[in-house]
Amino acid sequence: MYQFFVRRILWMGLVMVMVSIITFLLMHQVPGGPFDREKALPERIQKNLEKKYHLDDPLLKQYLDYMYYAFIPRVTTGEWKPLPENDHLINLKLPIGDNAYIRWMNFGPSIKSASRTVNDIFRDNFPVSAKLGGAAVAIACLIGMPLGTLAAIRKNTIFDYLGMGIAVLGVSLPIVTLGPLLRYIVGVELGLLPPTGWGTLEQMIMPSFTLGFASSALIARLTRASLLQVLDEDYIRTARAKGLREQLVITRHAMKNAMIPVVTVLGPLIAALITGTFVTEIVFGIPGMGKYFVTSIGGRDYPVIMGTILIYAFFLVFANFIVDIVYAWLDPRIRLS
Amino acid sequence: MRNITRVVLLVLLASMLVGAFGISGAQEAKVLYVANIGQDDIPHLDPGLAEDVASIQILEATYVGLTTLNEVTVTVEPGIATEWSVSDDGLVYTFSLMQNVPWVVYNTDSGAVEEVKDADGNVRYVTANDFVYGIKRTLDPNTAGPYAYVLAPWIVGGAEYNGGSGSADDVAVAALDDYTLQITAPKATPFLANIYGMWMALAQPQWVIDEMGDAWADEGTFQSYGPYALKEWAHDESLTLIKNPFWPGTDYVGQAKIDEIVFLLLEQSAKLAEYEAGNLDFMDDLPTADLDRIRVEYPNEFTVSPSSCSYGYGFNTEKEPVNDARVRRALSMAIDRQAITDNILKAGQIPAGFYMLPNLTAAPSQEDYPDLAIKYDPEAAKAELQAYLDEKGISVDELPPITYMTNETDLHKSIIEAIQNMWRETLGVEVQITFQEFGVFLDTRKNDAPQIFRYGWCYDYPDAHNFSGELFRSDSTQNDPNWVNPEYDALVDQALTENDPDVRRELYAQAEYLLVNQDAAMAPIYYYVETQLTKPNVERTLSVIGRERFEKWDIK
Amino acid sequence: MTTSEQAQKPTLVGVPELAQDMHHTNKLWVDAWKRLIRNRAAVVGLVIVILSVLIAIFAPYIAPNDYREQVLTNNNSAPRWVIDLFPNMKAKDEEGGWVTVSEDYILGADNLGRDLLSRIIYGSRVSLSVAFVGPMVSLAVGLILGLVSGYAGGRVDNLIMRLVDIMYAFPTILLVILLMAYFRATFNASDQGTFAYRLNQIDSRFGGMLFIFIGIGLTSWMNTARLARGQVLSIRQREYIEAATSVGASDFTIIFRHILPNILGPIVVAETLTIPTYISFEAFLSFIGLGVNPPTPSWGSMIADGAGAISSYPHQAIFPSMALFLIMFAFNFLGDGLRDALDPHMSRT
Repeated sequence: MYQFFVRRILWMGLVMVMVSIITFLLMHQVPGGPFDREKALPERIQKNLEKKYHLDDPLLKQYLDYMYYAFIPRVTTGEWKPLPENDHLINLKLPIGDNAYIRWMNFGPSIKSASRTVNDIFRDNFPVSAKLGGAAVAIACLIGMPLGTLAAIRKNTIFDYLGMGIAVLGVSLPIVTLGPLLRYIVGVELGLLPPTGWGTLEQMIMPSFTLGFASSALIARLTRASLLQVLDEDYIRTARAKGLREQLVITRHAMKNAMIPVVTVLGPLIAALITGTFVTEIVFGIPGMGKYFVTSIGGRDYPVIMGTILIYAFFLVFANFIVDIVYAWLDPRIRLS
Repeated sequence: MRNITRVVLLVLLASMLVGAFGISGAQEAKVLYVANIGQDDIPHLDPGLAEDVASIQILEATYVGLTTLNEVTVTVEPGIATEWSVSDDGLVYTFSLMQNVPWVVYNTDSGAVEEVKDADGNVRYVTANDFVYGIKRTLDPNTAGPYAYVLAPWIVGGAEYNGGSGSADDVAVAALDDYTLQITAPKATPFLANIYGMWMALAQPQWVIDEMGDAWADEGTFQSYGPYALKEWAHDESLTLIKNPFWPGTDYVGQAKIDEIVFLLLEQSAKLAEYEAGNLDFMDDLPTADLDRIRVEYPNEFTVSPSSCSYGYGFNTEKEPVNDARVRRALSMAIDRQAITDNILKAGQIPAGFYMLPNLTAAPSQEDYPDLAIKYDPEAAKAELQAYLDEKGISVDELPPITYMTNETDLHKSIIEAIQNMWRETLGVEVQITFQEFGVFLDTRKNDAPQIFRYGWCYDYPDAHNFSGELFRSDSTQNDPNWVNPEYDALVDQALTENDPDVRRELYAQAEYLLVNQDAAMAPIYYYVETQLTKPNVERTLSVIGRERFEKWDIK
Repeated sequence: MTTSEQAQKPTLVGVPELAQDMHHTNKLWVDAWKRLIRNRAAVVGLVIVILSVLIAIFAPYIAPNDYREQVLTNNNSAPRWVIDLFPNMKAKDEEGGWVTVSEDYILGADNLGRDLLSRIIYGSRVSLSVAFVGPMVSLAVGLILGLVSGYAGGRVDNLIMRLVDIMYAFPTILLVILLMAYFRATFNASDQGTFAYRLNQIDSRFGGMLFIFIGIGLTSWMNTARLARGQVLSIRQREYIEAATSVGASDFTIIFRHILPNILGPIVVAETLTIPTYISFEAFLSFIGLGVNPPTPSWGSMIADGAGAISSYPHQAIFPSMALFLIMFAFNFLGDGLRDALDPHMSRT
């Protein structure tokens, strides 16, 4: 058990390091730089900018510096100015006086927004994305699981076709279409909800639904498929043979096992949704993190690219870790090893 | 039971009274909701670092330059410098500044705009020294201000300091006293007063920058002195400006009439949805697909005005087959610009015969010089191409492959699809289209441009030089066509030394002729326009400079 | 790249346990086919898929117009019945209307005055190619790595599976953008005659789709690899494999003669279930500006372009969306039907 945890955590760390190396190499390999403009800047201005952000250092040094500031905690004493380069995510005061702090996780400045740091983006934008993603996952489960269950129980009936039809509608109406469509009909024509924005409950309904509906299809199909498989297992037949009511068979015996594949995808799905979703954020004007996954690459904002990738990788490996634990709980035959 | 009824009645009565008094009491604050600064977070609110329209829009509402640009007439007007004198040789500019203009900051705790005080409790007023500091900070290579390059060449010692070879002490900007500023230029040019009024040359608050570095320009610590102050900056979502009651106001830059302006950061069709839902008072950059409907549904709210940008295609004059001027001319003349502006762009964009915007100082217009401008002429286009093909002894199918490159945003895609079709139908030339990611596009265009590429430009200061000498002079970093014509260089150099706008206009007309017609190094396509929607109860000025002067606006 | 707009790998769901002995295969396929055609939804799906493929192949004979043909003055026009269909569209000749009425186009025209129907018909070529080639690329990469990993075991297995873990930790969207930018930039700049140059030529011929395939393939093989490995592991212990080993069959023979045919079924079925995610991924790429090169139409790019016009010209987004819906619907039910048909458990019910 302990061995499992230690090994998994070490492995998670290693994955993060590998991800950071690959991302770092790839982003520097792609042509273009953070100071390319529609109106090209003169060479000396480019040089000044590169010097300011240490982009004139050798790549290896840049990478090591980045990893050092991001992951090695350090102790500081004395006066501490609120400069962008001094921004750490975690600051713990030490009881040894002289303003001593342990400071950890400085993900660097945003090159595009000089007054902000990657940490600022985490602090301001991540909670928004997490809330939106969380609500969307909840909606996806609330729509998807009942639909999938119904379709499985009433296989090859109108319920099955209708339920799956709704699910397919969710996949095939991309958010690119569904978002603006809802925004126009509900927000403008009917005036029921505010078309864009984030903060109030009313503003949260449309984007959460849009995002959740799209994901519900996946959940519905998975639930149906795996429930069908489970319902065919011997122990369910036994339960039925014992004369248990069908409803009881499903809720008490089948559902728990049928949830295993669903949980498997829920992990990565949650990781993807809470770290931000580009189209939904753009369509509904939501100040989340998703847009940074795209705009940071467009602007070659290297520290932001690294930051967004690492936070995604972190949540993904963490989610998979949780999934493994939930597995063991759902199915005692699976051991944590 | 009776008691409860009595309590409810009492509460109701009380609330009605409060309500009544509330309404008759303080006058309601005027708040304007606008969306004219795009969808991405505003990059920098630091005069030394700002380089994009959104940042500059906010800076021009919160600061006042030495001079300002009239947004309607595009002429230079006094800003915080009430007057200025120029030496006889045209090199030394002496500005007299307004007195008693305090630096202000919005106090998030008290919820009010307050004057900035120094350590002794004295109010800090804007002085000539703040301008000296600001200009030198912009030019400082350690600041690494991207737009320093526009300012550096026009101050003695500026380019050297910015390039790392000179020192700050040699930059010829000096405070003669607290309210007199002197700047010396290396050569006399007609638009210096313009340059010195730009955002890179604003006063900057040294005390807070020393303390906080680049982080100062954010909510709670952003100091300014213009008609508005920064109240709130919800990153990626909105930015709120609040009236600065301490700005005394001048004839040219008055006091703000609207109490608060909320800028929403929204994608174009998202802001149209907000506008149509009644939550926005003003928006720009309307989605092209909705223009026909907007014209019909909001005829009194829809406005179109000239913009500061020009759109065109550049040719890489070093690559086959567009290394021959005849091929370039053929391609350029086969573009039916009117059809594009009428059917695709739809906002009343003007088909361009010159690349240079016609409303710049000393810029020629295609109406005045119809023979020099390039026009749609399918017959002449065919003839030019045929002459080339005959000389090479090849058919049109044997033409070396031509690639066009752009990034895929906005209307770039629709425009090239239409033009690709025109080239196919008129000339029989099949041009291959490649989309590149924006960064790759910029990099490729600069280092190894394909035969044809998108080429747009917006002016920094409204003078013809910004659209010619800074772009296509053979030594310019912007000269992506790699076009060299000594005659052109001589013409734009001469125009820079002339003072008479009519003489300059003639010279620029000749230069443009070489660029777009004789050598056809690039094909101008159209002049951008600004499309806007404004609610009828908003009083405004119609700006043609790409930014709004909100202190002149009011809500009826 | 799923259902949710981004960053998701296609997930292989409900894999049937098809690890049957080779000798029973024939009967199995016959049974499966019988079960499949009994499933009404799957048959409808199959018919739609076959019809779409035919439409894509014979597009030039079916489409009323050339997909490139522009009549700029007819931009955004629509026939009367389309205008009547959408409550928010109003014809120009009505009070307060803005839509040009033109009966030349059955479903209306796009913003360059091109026939929507013809573009939808031609667009099926891209969308169907993505639907077939996407899974194939993922199959090619994932299957080989999964086979090697499962068969070799030990260190090789460990290495490949750790690679899968790492690749899995990347947000697809980021990887795809970086990769596509990188490919297009390097291949475009290559000299004539080189391999890279030839690749670029192929890409141009296919309207820029080659790099989309490569991008999708490179970011979606991980699940296939995991699945293939699992299947190999479960089959390796079977008697006939051990028998083959004992008579001295080479690794190559064992893998390709004995293992591959037995695990291919379930994996192919699982891949068909991911097809819709590939199709919607193409739409997402178009939205962020990395789609096919014009004038090649694709449903994804038509939807992405049309979505911006939804409040004035809803037909431009809705009609291609309906085409997309229809084909996704078909693939979904066909995939589910295949899975059900091939699942040996089902034969008992």
